[in-house]
Amino acid sequence: MSTSNRWIERFSSLFAPPARGALRRPVAPSPALGRMLAPPPLSASRRGVLRGALGGAAVTVGLPWLELFVGPTARAETTFPVRFGVWNWGNGVRPEQWRPVGEGSGLSWTLSEELAPLINVKEKLAVVTGMAVKVPNYIPHWSGAGGLLTGLDALGDDEDWTVQGPTIDHIVADQIGGATIYKSIEIGLDTNEIFSFTGPNARAPGETDPFTLYERIFGATFREPGEGGIVDPRLGYRRSALDAVMQDVHALQRELGAADRVRLEAHLDGVRALEQRLARLQEDPPDLEACTRPVAPEVSYPDIDGRVQISARAQAMHEVLAMALACDQTRVFNFMLSRPVANLMFPGSPDGHHNLTHDEPSPQPEVHEITVQIITELAYFLERLDSIPEGDGTLLDHAAILCCSEHGEARTHAITDMPIVVAGSAGGRLVNDVHYRSYTDENVGKVVLSLLRAMGVSTPSWGDGDTFTEDGLSAIEV
Amino acid sequence: MSASAPLRSALGRPAPSARRALRGALVLGLGLSACGDPPKDAAPADDGEEETGEPVERGPAPEVTPGAPALRRLTQSQYENALRDMFAGELYVPTNLEPDNDVEGLLSVGASTTSVSAYGVELYEAAALTVAEQVLASPEAKAALLSCTPTGPDDSTCAAEVLGALARRAWRRPVSAAEVGRLAELVAQIGAAEGSFDAGMVYGVAAVLQSPHFLYRREHGEGTGAVRPVTSVELASRLSFLLWNSIPDEELLAVAESGALLDEAVLEEQARRLLAHDNARRGLRNLFDEVFHLYNLPGINKDPLVFLNADPELGASAREETLLGVEAMVFDDDGDFRDLLTTERAFVDRRLAALYGVAAATPEGFGEVYLPAELGRRGLLGQASFLMLQSHATSSSATKRGVFVRRTLLCQEIPAPPADVDTSIPEADATSPTLRERLQTHLSDPYCASCHQLTDPIGLGFENFDGIGKWRLTENGATIDASGDLDGVAFANAWQMAEVLHDSPLLGPCFTRHVYRYGVGRVENGDELALIGWLNEGFAGTGYSFRELLVDTVLSPGFRNVGELQ
Repeated sequence: MSTSNRWIERFSSLFAPPARGALRRPVAPSPALGRMLAPPPLSASRRGVLRGALGGAAVTVGLPWLELFVGPTARAETTFPVRFGVWNWGNGVRPEQWRPVGEGSGLSWTLSEELAPLINVKEKLAVVTGMAVKVPNYIPHWSGAGGLLTGLDALGDDEDWTVQGPTIDHIVADQIGGATIYKSIEIGLDTNEIFSFTGPNARAPGETDPFTLYERIFGATFREPGEGGIVDPRLGYRRSALDAVMQDVHALQRELGAADRVRLEAHLDGVRALEQRLARLQEDPPDLEACTRPVAPEVSYPDIDGRVQISARAQAMHEVLAMALACDQTRVFNFMLSRPVANLMFPGSPDGHHNLTHDEPSPQPEVHEITVQIITELAYFLERLDSIPEGDGTLLDHAAILCCSEHGEARTHAITDMPIVVAGSAGGRLVNDVHYRSYTDENVGKVVLSLLRAMGVSTPSWGDGDTFTEDGLSAIEV
Repeated sequence: MSASAPLRSALGRPAPSARRALRGALVLGLGLSACGDPPKDAAPADDGEEETGEPVERGPAPEVTPGAPALRRLTQSQYENALRDMFAGELYVPTNLEPDNDVEGLLSVGASTTSVSAYGVELYEAAALTVAEQVLASPEAKAALLSCTPTGPDDSTCAAEVLGALARRAWRRPVSAAEVGRLAELVAQIGAAEGSFDAGMVYGVAAVLQSPHFLYRREHGEGTGAVRPVTSVELASRLSFLLWNSIPDEELLAVAESGALLDEAVLEEQARRLLAHDNARRGLRNLFDEVFHLYNLPGINKDPLVFLNADPELGASAREETLLGVEAMVFDDDGDFRDLLTTERAFVDRRLAALYGVAAATPEGFGEVYLPAELGRRGLLGQASFLMLQSHATSSSATKRGVFVRRTLLCQEIPAPPADVDTSIPEADATSPTLRERLQTHLSDPYCASCHQLTDPIGLGFENFDGIGKWRLTENGATIDASGDLDGVAFANAWQMAEVLHDSPLLGPCFTRHVYRYGVGRVENGDELALIGWLNEGFAGTGYSFRELLVDTVLSPGFRNVGELQ
């Protein structure tokens, strides 16, 4: 049986009880308990339509996730799941030291000083410069982040703002995240307040502790492929308790006003997702050859001399995340190395990052050095993904990762000349080893639309008003 | 009453001065949000007796149509307090929970708009199971929980009795037979499968704690119309979360279930009973933790190479100092709240004593000390909490400190810095050794100055304190000039500024507003702004007794009613 057929069989079993794994379950001691152990409902919670999410346009995300395995362009390497990620950092770059030399593909462009750490994965990158976030730049940092990742301006002021719609990671997760144990994984190196939202006022907080992240994904409930074993009966009990919780949510919803009903619906989505996750844990684990339980991180990474251990924490989290992807625990992630406005003290740096972007005179050598450190962490992660073999290629080949920040140059809070790197080709859907430079402040939303389409999200457009576009960026599309 | 009504009707009588009338106009939405104009007051000015010389008898509370009710998610601290109040014995409560959300400066306001993320649901489940397993494993907690002896692993009658009582407490309301039956069935089924009543009970307790009836506060009132009374049991929750930052105790819940809490005298009696209880200290601490953002202090990032006194625990110590000071002022003294700004009394541990240059009163923990005037340090704004929080990792910040004074102490709005502006500050050199010179751009460029003139002259008054609050007379060898003026009232240094702020007519109304927002979990509407003005009259009339302000707020129509469900 081919890999793709095994995949189809594994997941179609969810539709047709009794599932194969049912035979391994303990015999239900009572008819009532049998219900607790029944196969899960699939996708009961998946919203077929994200209304208003993309600038008011109704976006259908109803394509079955299987499209991305066995679609019309299927070939050997696309039998592996396609992954999507946002990898972001705060406070932009030094544009003149960020911009690659030369344009076009292959030998016609070379990495810049700030991109130099990515040398070993250059062939798997698309670098885009010169494009702009087309929202009014009212709220420093947050307008840029909102405009880039939601296609809509952030609303409010610097003390109190929110997004108007979901960030791209959750739009993609609605498309391809339904089949895995985690629909998406959110990680923040130093703060849980990452730029990842399922909607207005609905932040998806990031996990900040490497060990907790490891325990969450690779803890007691994780089983390696072929590990077999008896399914923990507590999974069923927990699902039963969640059943009761869901009934409470429904009952409470009926008493509320419209806005509160929406808030509780988001909560209910979370309960359903957890219930489904527990159900998947009762199934056989996905079997991907490269999947192994990663080495556990340290239990804690205490600050040293008042400074966060940025590199040690980032590497530990990247290792767990890489294996979470390799083991198909999730297909979508948002990794935030530092938040917009982050004032992290980087090693060797005389002041916090955000302070330096404003206080250090040009050309800001300290800010430059920090940017190099950030891209060095990105390089570690991308090289790790590229070391995981999948078929004829690597995991990185089967991913598309949007690497970005909320500003071009943070000193002036510019949202032009945005730093954009797309890593991976999404299984051959995107062009790699290319530098595209725009000389007309083109709408960066084009890149986002190209990514959405590469992920199988069927949408006629992205953004609204000045951010609106019906065209992707052809330079990165196959 | 509409938001454009003149101030005179908002406060029930004519405003006695033109200055105040102007301020009132600004209050009620006519203010300009751009800088360059007088700062916009977001709370009515103090209407106390200073200007007329005579206290004015307060009229009846203005009629208000409160804002629409919103479901409030328990904050992390409420979640933890509730669990500790619910179960006996030592309890480890996981702290890795859905993060709180700061909206308009308060987590309590954010709690009315946020939801729970998918990861948050996971964390609540894990926390509920952790707590439930502990409770069933601890002899003391288990004995307190189990009011009956199960006849077998699937004794649903006993399960119903136990979980009915627990759910009533956790959900802060009477529980229906159907709700209890569902929980009991869950326990009985798992109990039977596992051959253990306790094993089933773990999941029953966990279900109670994961329920939205526990995690959210429904304070929606009853009936129809624009002004609807909060129900008696909902009012009990409002009251105990405001004063205790936790769930009602048995007495309050029982009074509420009888409907008696709708009676003003009973409500006042309960409010005073709660305030006299030790839990009220916990509640007050949380209120000030939120208003001053003290929760950001533990783990605050300060460079020890720049600040020799900075150690990893300094932030936590600074937070405790401020909270102890507030506690003492409100509960031990019941003094004039404004004295928080000028008090020469401080509560320090050895770490803070070293920072301040005083002798610690005790080798362990915190002790009360007196700060002599020559130290130049007194009151809230002489505390390390303010001075550290409103600074950078390696330096002080006149702008951040000024913004705090305007926004948090005076409730004035300061717009965010515009985008696309070069904000770099020159490095110190011979011509600009101190921050005052380096910030000249802020004040000489008209574009920057329009806002920075509101913040920097205040913030520069604190320049004798570095980025962690250590006293200094010079910066880069040059003497620091900490003089300035606050809206026309001159001060020579932070010590004097404390007096100016103490006497500011904006201080009382601002804290009245903080308490109101904290209590109702919302930003006030125009009607409620008038109510806040009225509450402030009462605050002033009691000599700024914070306890009386809390009671007055509880008894006010804004706290006991909600607007139309939307």
